[in-house]
Amino acid sequence: MISKIYSSCVMGIDAYEVTAEVDIGSGLPGFNIVGLPDMAIKESRDRIKAAIKNSGFSFPAKKIIVNLAPADIKKEGASFDLPIALAILSTEDVIDSSLLQRHVFLGELSLDGRVKPVKGVLPIAMALKDMRKEYLILPRENSKEAAVIREIKTYPVDTLKEVVDFLNKKVSIRPEELNIETAFKRSSKYKIDFSDVKGQEHVKRGLEVAAAGGHNVLMIGPPGSGKSMLAKRLTTILSEMTLEEGLETSEIHSVAGILPPNKFIIGTRPFRSPHHTISDAALLGGGTNPMPGEISLAHNGVLFMDELPEFRRNVLEVLRLPMEDGSVTVARVANTVTYPSKFMLVGAMNPCPCGCIILLIYPAVDTLLDLI
Amino acid sequence: MGREKKTIGAAGEKIASRFLKKLGYRIIGSNIRTPFGEIDFVAKHKKIVVFVEVKSRTTSSFGPPYLSVTRSKERHIVKNALFYLKRLKIPDADWRVDIISVKLNYCHELESIELLENAVEDNFT
Repeated sequence: MISKIYSSCVMGIDAYEVTAEVDIGSGLPGFNIVGLPDMAIKESRDRIKAAIKNSGFSFPAKKIIVNLAPADIKKEGASFDLPIALAILSTEDVIDSSLLQRHVFLGELSLDGRVKPVKGVLPIAMALKDMRKEYLILPRENSKEAAVIREIKTYPVDTLKEVVDFLNKKVSIRPEELNIETAFKRSSKYKIDFSDVKGQEHVKRGLEVAAAGGHNVLMIGPPGSGKSMLAKRLTTILSEMTLEEGLETSEIHSVAGILPPNKFIIGTRPFRSPHHTISDAALLGGGTNPMPGEISLAHNGVLFMDELPEFRRNVLEVLRLPMEDGSVTVARVANTVTYPSKFMLVGAMNPCPCGCIILLIYPAVDTLLDLI
Repeated sequence: MGREKKTIGAAGEKIASRFLKKLGYRIIGSNIRTPFGEIDFVAKHKKIVVFVEVKSRTTSSFGPPYLSVTRSKERHIVKNALFYLKRLKIPDADWRVDIISVKLNYCHELESIELLENAVEDNFT
């Protein structure tokens, strides 16, 4: 007995289709997952077993082999829990499998059978059309994020039992509905504003010019002169984000798993200010399976480097290429991915280690901010 | 001591065979020798071939009896079972391994008995 359930996985910011195939054979009972799974997926064996039992179904005491196809791509994350559990249940004829082929499932299972949110839903929703699938069934916390894509129908679910009942047409679930334009507009309001800054007309003028042309800026001035405050508010005078830009940025934040829970699309230009002890990998993106770094999270927004001279030399050097290209390619043994990284670099520094040299030389000038 | 252990084992197996029959297991064979060791019982239960390992103890100072089935013993049981199935020419049959824990008092009378269904899982790879 064999069954197939469709799911998806993200590599970089591109999603690809993954099929969870389950074969139930004779022999000593056991449960194995193949298809280059990572530790999180290997551990899903125990989660799936417990979730199926605690949802009121029986876990077949047979030899179960799960294959995640295509077999040559590394799979990571817990988002295959739900599809694997459903594939096992459908071999037991618990699920009406006639409809399964048009659905894509995502979700991590908890031991009691509840479905928990996963990372990278937005890129998967975007890629669904290419997979010729229409329905996406996913955790409730993620459903709004996916509903941003209009061409597909997303069904939010809370428990494994609910999914099974839905597929057997015992319960109906209302697909998530979202007016993307109004939602985007609502999310594109800033809590702070450039007009909060009083005085500093010279600097403001400079920043306005930089914002208009998308130029990079370096501010030099003694502590307390408002460099960080100005930089934070720079995003509010940049041109309004278009929906396309918003989707691009949201996609990266979705992959990184840092979309705020109540916010499913980013309408404000991101402002990232990493601490100066940051490593080059954290800035560019990295890891065994490369994750986006600060420069990609600042895509379509501002990357603020406070205390610029305190950053390590190699960290500053690696910025050259991404700033030139507007994208960064992170190559690792596992795979090579390209993340967009179009950002405006804003630097801030003190004129000397103590920060106050200018005050000593020109006591009359309480602040001097320079533009490059 | 050696004889003592053997009598405990024999007493436990006697009790276990009655227990299995009561649960609806049809016992096909007992104390089957293979090149890999011995199988206590082979039974059929709902069309599944069940290999039963009986563990008997008179004291619980060292934990319940089934704890003494270690990983390597499990592997032996599996090897035994595969050999036996091949000998019967049914290598594709559905089968599983159950463990029966028998606790006896010092007179070798039954104190408690417990069946662990599907006690060994194929996670050896």
